[in-house]
Amino acid sequence: MAPLEHYLILSAVLFSLGVVGVVVRRNAIVVILCIELMMNGANLAFVAYGHFLDSMAGQMIVFFVMAVAAAEAAIGLAIVVLIYRNRESTDLDEINLLKL
Amino acid sequence: MASSLFFYFLAVVTTVGAIAVVAFPSPLYSVLALILTFLGLAGLYLSLHAQFVAIVQVIIYASAIMMLFLFVVMLINLGREEQKELRLPGQKMLGAIAGLALFSVLLKIFLSTSLMTGKKGSFPPERVSELGNTQIIGNLLLTDYVLPFQAMGVLLFVGIVGAVVLASRRSR
Repeated sequence: MAPLEHYLILSAVLFSLGVVGVVVRRNAIVVILCIELMMNGANLAFVAYGHFLDSMAGQMIVFFVMAVAAAEAAIGLAIVVLIYRNRESTDLDEINLLKL
Repeated sequence: MASSLFFYFLAVVTTVGAIAVVAFPSPLYSVLALILTFLGLAGLYLSLHAQFVAIVQVIIYASAIMMLFLFVVMLINLGREEQKELRLPGQKMLGAIAGLALFSVLLKIFLSTSLMTGKKGSFPPERVSELGNTQIIGNLLLTDYVLPFQAMGVLLFVGIVGAVVLASRRSR
């Protein structure tokens, strides 16, 4: 069985890659994908800690995070479709009406 | 030893998938790479004796949510990201540096402090395998976690209504 640290390092890798994706990519859908990636990095840390501490709390939190992620994906994609309908593009650099 | 090898194999699959999500120029390939990552994570949950979470990961994340993404990507027919000038010069470099900095901070937190000093919970592996992982989660959902469970129902309901209202609005 791999030690807890290795699971935590993997979760940090996933979270950091998600952050890089959010900063670097300009497509709104890919940015939402990278947010899902970050959530999964956090989920892995929850489950790993729960397993090594003999607790079920980690798995319960992961269950709730998945529900939040499902709602977030549905609303986020609806907003993307709405933006695409109005502007024929999902490029985040062009969606700047509220920018100063 | 075998379970350790299983972990490293899945870790490589998951990391490669995650890098591919960020690196592929086409959103369609990004979605497919994320499905690979989620399947790898489901295997990791299995190696942590979280069978219910692993199956939910495959059914809800890798199937339902990712199918929603695929549906939208194909609906609005996105091509590759155009290689035009980024608004901020050197944005990719800065993003990579920010990611590396965050990774080193997380690594320092995870490795330097002893985070394993917490009180042990009441579900050691023997008890879990005796009762069954799914049964324990079902019991906890309707006893200790019943308020978050109900709130989750309200949240999903609001999500459904919000998505329908947003996406079905007629453009004037």
